[in-house]
Amino acid sequence: MLGTASEAGSYERRAVLLWRYCLLAVLLCGWEAYGRFVDETWFSRPSLIFARIVTWAGDGLAVHVATTLAEMAGGLAIGVPLGTLLGLVLGRLPLLAGIVRPIILGLYSVPLVTLAPLFIFWFGLGLMPKIILVAIVTFFLLFFTTFSGAQTIDRDLIDNYRLLGATRAELVRKLIAPACLAWILSGMKIALPYSLIAAVVGEMLLARAGLGYLLMNASQQIDMTGMFAALFILMLVGVAVGESVNWVERRAMRWRVLSN
Amino acid sequence: MSSALITLDNIAKSFWRDDRAITALSPVSLSIQREEFVALVGPSGCGKSTILNMVAGLLQPTDGRLLYEGKVVGDLNRRVGYMTQKDTLLPWRTVTDNIGSPLELACHKTPKAEREERIRQMIELVGLKGFEKHYPGELSGGMRRRVALARMLIYDPETLLMDEPFGALDAQLKLVMHDEIQRIVGLGRKTVLFVTHDLGEAIALADRVVVFSSRPGRIKAVRAVDLPRPRDVFRIRFTPRFTELHEELWDELKDEVRKGTDA
Amino acid sequence: MTTQPLKREHTTLAPAGSQSSTVAQWLRRTLARPTGRFIAQIAIIGIFLAFWELGSGPILPRVWVSTPSAIFARIVFWIKDGSLWVHLAATVTAAASGYIIGSMGGIATGLLLGLSPRLERISGPFVIALYSLPKVALAPFFVIFLGIGVESKIALVAVTVYFLLLYNTLDGLHDLERGWADAYRIMGANKPEIVRNVLLPGIMPWIFSGLRIAVRYAFTAAVLGELIAGNEGIGFLIESSAGNFNSSGIFAGVFILVICSVTATQLITRTEKAVLHWRN
Repeated sequence: MLGTASEAGSYERRAVLLWRYCLLAVLLCGWEAYGRFVDETWFSRPSLIFARIVTWAGDGLAVHVATTLAEMAGGLAIGVPLGTLLGLVLGRLPLLAGIVRPIILGLYSVPLVTLAPLFIFWFGLGLMPKIILVAIVTFFLLFFTTFSGAQTIDRDLIDNYRLLGATRAELVRKLIAPACLAWILSGMKIALPYSLIAAVVGEMLLARAGLGYLLMNASQQIDMTGMFAALFILMLVGVAVGESVNWVERRAMRWRVLSN
Repeated sequence: MSSALITLDNIAKSFWRDDRAITALSPVSLSIQREEFVALVGPSGCGKSTILNMVAGLLQPTDGRLLYEGKVVGDLNRRVGYMTQKDTLLPWRTVTDNIGSPLELACHKTPKAEREERIRQMIELVGLKGFEKHYPGELSGGMRRRVALARMLIYDPETLLMDEPFGALDAQLKLVMHDEIQRIVGLGRKTVLFVTHDLGEAIALADRVVVFSSRPGRIKAVRAVDLPRPRDVFRIRFTPRFTELHEELWDELKDEVRKGTDA
Repeated sequence: MTTQPLKREHTTLAPAGSQSSTVAQWLRRTLARPTGRFIAQIAIIGIFLAFWELGSGPILPRVWVSTPSAIFARIVFWIKDGSLWVHLAATVTAAASGYIIGSMGGIATGLLLGLSPRLERISGPFVIALYSLPKVALAPFFVIFLGIGVESKIALVAVTVYFLLLYNTLDGLHDLERGWADAYRIMGANKPEIVRNVLLPGIMPWIFSGLRIAVRYAFTAAVLGELIAGNEGIGFLIESSAGNFNSSGIFAGVFILVICSVTATQLITRTEKAVLHWRN
């Protein structure tokens, strides 16, 4: 932005990759060295952490990952359709929307994850409180996205289609449905990371399984290796979740990417 | 040739896009004299703006040499003023502060009193008296163009680079701006490189019109505009000589425009 | 081929002579006006509260859902025995301190990465990885290293806010009009001058947007930290209420949290409007 237009070619890309690997290597080696030769009680070291992950992998890690993912999926399955539906409906009913939306906004100002204790209180141990939490968070996010999307359907575009003789069904199929897909995807982009956070919060407060549970379990025994291992796996899941939406978006929304 | 202010000597420019080379400009040669008003006309994407950017020093040619006053343009060319179609006024500064911004910089450093005086003169020159404390957000499109003009002129650059500066204005406003530009350029004895789509605008304002082909851009035609100065921009379109020139140049231009749309 | 027109959204005039439609018309008109809407909203909230108050007990166990009056009573109780102020102070301290530290760090890092494209490219995947990590997962680490007191909460808040501001600042630098910097370069500005005159003022809208959003997350992070492991703060109030099966306490705590969060956000919004007054 400040320099003359840089024509970044393959040289630049290779240099960047090189620097990244170097950085990673320095980080890991330094950590390992510190752990081996100075003190491994507080920060553990990469080799121990890696070994622990491997151990876990052969002994029930899949269950915990599946639990967390199941909580997310369950909540999404409830929250996404409900939120989308309400958003679409209110988006086309300006009168009702004007009354109801501020109330929904007000409700959203409640930091939803802090309601986790309430749901645990209501639904006890198990997946349910987390699913409900994820469902509510997702509901709000999808509502807001589809609501503003529904309001911005280009009036001219609709009129054009109608002039061309489109029936209501064709209108929905060709114009409204693709637009909805765009809003839902954009809502999911935000909702997915949040659903992970909500699930993990629930697990950290009270759970018998899940990645959050793994983390808390390790922390209660001051098991730094276990804590770092859980952290790392959480990070991987977080990245995977984020990338999966991007991937879907790239596939489904090709036309948008191309037009950019 | 030696008295030319700007020399384009076999200039070519290619860009990289996703590992593919795109030739924006195929070899182009042109020389521009002092105080000459040269208009560059051509279809979109033919490299006219690229030439301006190279004269300004924002881009380097991939081939050939670009000389300003006999010296190769290396880094930024501080002797030029640049006015683009897009509005680049800083929205958080008032009209006065926007116009005065060049004079705050180290290379044009001016003491406060003198700066204020020159700003005042500029505001009068472009006819914005009374709007000193306004923000760009409060001004109309035409007024913002005039602020941009004033900002460009205040440090008295000897060459003006203008890239479709009036493109976004309506027809009447455009003519008013043409009149202003003519007056200001004449007063200040400036050299001007003016890029436009509008052939009529080019002929009305310029001493020479250069027609470009579609991408990769080459010079297709160069014509001197022998209409007498000072010109009445409001009426000049109806003079026979104008119409002749327009027809000649339009012949050259229209094939290129058509080619551009087929691409 | 027949075409079926979609029902128009804007109000259609009712066919002359239909009785019920005049009522519907009047309703439509009043509800469209702000005062009418406001009354409708108050009515909705009022009816909801009434249902809550009266339905809790007969319909749903009072232990689970509490009642508005019980929640109110709880808050009054906390005010009277002073615990509200103690815990409120703890949470606000944690949130505010972490907010300041985190935002300054995030903005600084954002500027650093923005001004050095190569650094930004190199650090890209690392930032994404850190960003994808739910920051709550760091809470146990902070508790182990910094103890159960307010310091660990400040750290959690700081990390949460840090990434938010980092993201927003970078966004601002990317979305900033290239034209502004180019115009300044043509005028003859050197890099420090461009940073001072174009960049820093230019990204203010993004920074303020980030600051505004981060307030809510600061409070949330502070409370989450207290929920997970703490001995003071609103989160502690909530957690101990939950432990005592006192749902009124949970609702009361959340309510207080909302008040704090909204007030603080309003403060930032006011400041934003004042600083960015040129946006009219």
